[in-house]
Amino acid sequence: MDLTKLPLFTLMARRMDWLTQRETVLAQNIANADSPEFRPRDMTPTSFRQMLDPALPRVQLASTNPGHIEPTPQARAFRDEKSKHVYETALDGNAVNLEEQMMKVSETQGAYRLVTNLFQKQVGMLKQAIGRER
Amino acid sequence: MGMDLMKSIKISAAGMKAQGVRLKVIAENLANADSISPVAGGDPYRRKVVTFQNVLDRKLGADMVKVKNIGTDKSAFREKYDATNPAADANGYVKLPNVNPLVELMDMREAQRSYEANLRIVDVSKNMLTRTIDLLRS
Repeated sequence: MDLTKLPLFTLMARRMDWLTQRETVLAQNIANADSPEFRPRDMTPTSFRQMLDPALPRVQLASTNPGHIEPTPQARAFRDEKSKHVYETALDGNAVNLEEQMMKVSETQGAYRLVTNLFQKQVGMLKQAIGRER
Repeated sequence: MGMDLMKSIKISAAGMKAQGVRLKVIAENLANADSISPVAGGDPYRRKVVTFQNVLDRKLGADMVKVKNIGTDKSAFREKYDATNPAADANGYVKLPNVNPLVELMDMREAQRSYEANLRIVDVSKNMLTRTIDLLRS
């Protein structure tokens, strides 16, 4: 049995991917907390369906000729965008607010902890079903 | 996925490096807050300012930060009447550096705060990475 074929595990893996990418985006914001004209970014919110079905949001190019080149898959699975509503903008045009970013970081960390705990619980339950001592 | 977390650690390291340079320049300014000219009527130490810039690192595909340049503050020098000073000009005025210790201290606090925020990102990313690895143990 392939664990990745289970919908729940796919969902958790995607959620972890999303959270990891958010962490990277937030790291960028904080590293640029004093760069003039820099505007913070954040992930676009995802829906339940989008999380469950990885193939859903992408529109595939049709290849009608053997000479057509397959598009390379996007390096980043999820989209991020410039934050529209920021707490405040400094005089130099920088809109990064450290408190706001730190809050998002804590949020991400908490969500990640939740997913990893759920994963461990799920594996434990599977092991129990198999009937082997943990 | 694990690579992505390493990426955020690298981005934060770039941020910490930039703040480190800034702190170095602030230290330079504060140390030279009273450095006057060695010649009579000459210009004293001129305050330095750091500007940051966000650059796209193509290898990482992320917005890194780096120090754009270290420029000088063009504002006027302070002047003090001290005719006995060897640096005094013909009218007895000595030019003092345009360093305001209060401004430097505020700048220093800001640099420290940004540095701490970056450090926290490294902490959190490391924590997330450890949690992922710990999944193997379940």
